[in-house]
Amino acid sequence: MNTPRQRRRAAGWPVALAAFATFAAPAAPVAYTVDPAQSSLTFVGTQQGEKFTGTIKSFRAAVRYGPTELAASTLDVSMDLKSIDTRSGERDAALATAIWFDYAHTPTATFKSVGPLRATRDGAVADADLVIKGKTKRIAFPFRFTANGATANLDARVTLDRLDFGLGAGEWADDSVIGHKVDVVVHLVLKPAAN
Amino acid sequence: MALHSTAYRWGAVARLFHWLTALGVLALIAVGLWMTDLPNGMRKINIYALHKSVGITILGLTVLRLLWRLTDDRPLSPPGQPAWQQRAAQAAHVLLYGLLIAMPLSGWLYNSASGFPLRWFKLANLPHLVEADPALKELAHGAHEFGAWLLIALVVLHAAAALKHHFVDRDDTLNAMLGRRAKDSK
Ligand code: HEM
Repeated sequence: MNTPRQRRRAAGWPVALAAFATFAAPAAPVAYTVDPAQSSLTFVGTQQGEKFTGTIKSFRAAVRYGPTELAASTLDVSMDLKSIDTRSGERDAALATAIWFDYAHTPTATFKSVGPLRATRDGAVADADLVIKGKTKRIAFPFRFTANGATANLDARVTLDRLDFGLGAGEWADDSVIGHKVDVVVHLVLKPAAN
Repeated sequence: MALHSTAYRWGAVARLFHWLTALGVLALIAVGLWMTDLPNGMRKINIYALHKSVGITILGLTVLRLLWRLTDDRPLSPPGQPAWQQRAAQAAHVLLYGLLIAMPLSGWLYNSASGFPLRWFKLANLPHLVEADPALKELAHGAHEFGAWLLIALVVLHAAAALKHHFVDRDDTLNAMLGRRAKDSK
């Protein structure tokens, strides 16, 4: 015997299932591109005990991200190192040489996530291959992901060791003159990719 | 050992200031003239850093020295020295003090205007006097170089005068700075 009340409850099931289905529908992560005007890629080095900031003005990034599709989410960044500006003509000129980035041979650095991302409280951690000056290093890249409607912010800060990439080897390895640790600060403003 | 100077002799503090400064300035002049031709590299950076650290030390020493001088006595001029010589010696000493301040300051200004960090003997970073500024950089460099030649000329004159007092006039001017017992003191 179906009472009216039981009938209503039964009728509710398909609706709930349908709602769940729509919620889970994007089985693929969202593809984003960066808004270059609002995004920034900077690094903080130390020279003779004093911090300086370099800006990588020209870079491209493709981000595919969904908080529940971490296995299919990817980060892919390519940086034009010639666009580095450290607010010192002498320093910028030095960075171009073979001691540092060697623009003549390796003008580009790349960053590509490898394998599934791992969820964190406010974003995820990507394992990624960072290639600078032809040297590849697998790094853990934790980032915060903040969705604002259709756009989103991706923020991260990682510390690298310049010697891992052969930046300033030999006599230039002296940590007391040019610090080994370099903080990289990533602020990407993402918008959905056109297609 | 008397710390303070008397009418016949420089005290230990004044002598220490004087000879430390002499040592530092001679080293700075020699290294300064030599280092600019070094090939670019870590060695050049380290030698420049040393030049800057010693130069800043001279600035600190000179400030302390002038403060000490306010409280200290000073030996009398040698008896019978003509007035023009006294005035010339005084003018040279004022100029020397001025350069002991102006040389480090112009170097520091040059460094700041170039946008370089300034670290004192790898121990402490000093503030930038100005923002990076190419025009000011040229100006400060010119002042440092002109000051260097003026300082070299004055140091030669200063040393020549001291030697003349000692070997020609045979008075106690140099002895008073060497801490030797002056002939006419008790
Ligand atoms: C009493 C203090 C100082 C003395 C007597 C001194 C003397 C000199 C001399 C003789 C030169 C060579 C001049 C030339 O031919 O260009 C020189 C160059 C230089 N000095 Fe100093 N200096 C002093 C303090 C400083 C300080 C405090 C700094 C920086 C903070 C400094 C920075 C430099 C630099 C960067 C050069 C090289 C200029 C170039 O590359 O052409 N100096 N100094």
